[in-house]
Amino acid sequence: MPEFDLDSFKKTWQEQPVEPKYDNAEILQMLNKKSRNYVKYIFWISVIEFVLFTAFGLFYILQNKESNTFLTSLQKLGVEKNEQMQDILDNIYLIIKIFTLLITGYFVIKFYKNYRKIKVEEDLKEFISRIIKFKKTVNAFILINILIVVVFTSALTIFGIYAIQKQNTELASSSIVAFIISFIISTVLCIVLIWAYYRLVYGILIKRLDKNLTQLKEIDAQEK
Amino acid sequence: MIIGKLVSKRILIIHFQIIKFSNFQIISYLRGNYYIILISKEKEFAQLIKDNQGLIIKVSRLYTNSLEDEEDLFQEIVLQLWRSYDSFKGNSKISTWMYRVALNTAITLFRKKSKSLPTNELDINHRDFIEDDDDKQQQISLLYTVIKTLPNVERAIVMMYLDDLPYKDIAENLGITEVNARVKMNRLKKVLKEKMEKHA
Repeated sequence: MPEFDLDSFKKTWQEQPVEPKYDNAEILQMLNKKSRNYVKYIFWISVIEFVLFTAFGLFYILQNKESNTFLTSLQKLGVEKNEQMQDILDNIYLIIKIFTLLITGYFVIKFYKNYRKIKVEEDLKEFISRIIKFKKTVNAFILINILIVVVFTSALTIFGIYAIQKQNTELASSSIVAFIISFIISTVLCIVLIWAYYRLVYGILIKRLDKNLTQLKEIDAQEK
Repeated sequence: MIIGKLVSKRILIIHFQIIKFSNFQIISYLRGNYYIILISKEKEFAQLIKDNQGLIIKVSRLYTNSLEDEEDLFQEIVLQLWRSYDSFKGNSKISTWMYRVALNTAITLFRKKSKSLPTNELDINHRDFIEDDDDKQQQISLLYTVIKTLPNVERAIVMMYLDDLPYKDIAENLGITEVNARVKMNRLKKVLKEKMEKHA
């Protein structure tokens, strides 16, 4: 082979016989075919995450039995149930409910807006960035949900300790320790599970996009 | 609905452009050879794809390693072009729109069925021109094989360069600066030269 020169190859490349494979009818048929589209998968996984976390959040926060269950467990520790306690607890629940609803509403709008911004006719860098940004909205939503669980659990724990102290309830120290430890363990477990899921799904979905984006950034960062 | 001058059964003149169509329907006669014509959007699109399918075939070939995936990628690109067809109309050049959608689909959207081969696998593309033993074809076949050893973004740069797109367009399609596209391409020329000579 003579010495290779890409520029002298241009003509050969452009004139390569790419035989027209498809006629109009076949092209029209393609418009009804199912898409094997990566963003579609990201979208549906995100929708499922969104629905699950919203359902999980709302279920956890909205059910009224919850405050009674908590009070019952405090009663088991020896704390007396009274109206003032019920009021404080109801307020904690109300604030968390409103907060969760507002956050969910905000994210639903942001989720939709960011999805609509993904346009396949954008340049490659912008296209990948928009997909990543869209996925980040969902991740931010998941993280904020985790945060709410932590805040909520902490608020209840502090309230429990406050109630115990205020009523000067005589408790075996082992009971307090068990009470706190059970809260901490359940919270940590919850966070670990969500975090593991987040790392796994986010990692798999975004890895390929990140790889391409890195290539583009490397080209743009090269020495001139 | 547009007004066009009918030259023959299948040839129209619309806005001083001669257009070959098999997909128009005459709604009513005006005068002279002028008619009110309805061109169906789907058929208009199919014609556009048919006339420009070389670009889509090349992209499909460069980003897949099996014939099945190649055909699937072609279809996916056509689908994505169709979905963005409304936003394209009149907003940009056909080539810009087609390149962007085809490359975005090949690089980012498409989920391959077959596992991708390691990038140093060099026999993957010889099936393309297996029946053609012409020297030029063999060189093209080798070039495909060598380009396929490059990372996704670099493949796109080389393809657009070979298709004679100006650096400005290459840069704009990828979202990088023109200077960097030029620098990168110069480096890629050396890389490709080495690889071609090694595998010739």
